[in-house]
Amino acid sequence: MREFYKNISDALAMLDGLEKDLNLRHLTPNELKVFYTIIVRSECNKFGSNISDIVENSGMSRSTVYKTLKKLSLEGIIKLHQSEEDGRESLVILNN
Amino acid sequence: MKNFLTLSVTSFIFSVVLWVLWHFLDSHVLFLAGKGGFFYLPHAARVLCIVYFGYRAIPALYLGELVGPYVLEAGLYSFSTLIPSLISVMSVPFALSFLNILGFTLGETRTSPLNRRNYKHIFLITFISAGFNALIVNLYMSRNNLSFPNAITDIEQVYRFLIGDLLGTIIVFIFLAMLLIPVLRQARS
Repeated sequence: MREFYKNISDALAMLDGLEKDLNLRHLTPNELKVFYTIIVRSECNKFGSNISDIVENSGMSRSTVYKTLKKLSLEGIIKLHQSEEDGRESLVILNN
Repeated sequence: MKNFLTLSVTSFIFSVVLWVLWHFLDSHVLFLAGKGGFFYLPHAARVLCIVYFGYRAIPALYLGELVGPYVLEAGLYSFSTLIPSLISVMSVPFALSFLNILGFTLGETRTSPLNRRNYKHIFLITFISAGFNALIVNLYMSRNNLSFPNAITDIEQVYRFLIGDLLGTIIVFIFLAMLLIPVLRQARS
């Protein structure tokens, strides 16, 4: 049975590659707004933009921004890392 | 034995479901009616099941191929499809053996010449198997003076088989990738 699941997992890996290359995933309009804000902010700050800035500039609620950041991070579009200046703050960086 | 049963049932159901879906589109959807030869969905079942489950999936796939024209829509073709169906199923092992002879062995790591986790390699197998299927089935049909309803067994049919198998497989792969997005996301996280 383990072999069967291994085969299915290989097939899913193949479909995952196809999905990534065709960019089949989609973002809602609110998520897109947050994403565009991250892109614009990343032009101003190469070291990453903090989440409060993104909330302020996108005009979205804090919870929408957090949900979107989690989704974008899972998709591998952005990376979150801790600020060196303030350990309590997370910075958002676009993945290359 | 348990694994063999599981993969046989999966392959059989996958093959029959794709055949039913294809037949429905080919005969009941107005703008696609009669154009089924250009998007033969069940070829995806042959490729996926043989690549991922191995040659043990062949008997179930062969049975799945026969269920459509013999049980679900008996009398669909005016000739016996026992041999053409066998050739169609065997086109994937032929393609794998052909690639193996050329030094492209099927594996599951990045270093494998043919990686079954890479969709581009699966498309290569699909393309070669579609070519074998188109050539050998049509050769068999022309040698025995067989033809599908309202069609002539000629070079155009070879081309239709090739395009049909390729397009059908691509459609199924994209459909599965879209359908499984939540599963793929969960696996990634």
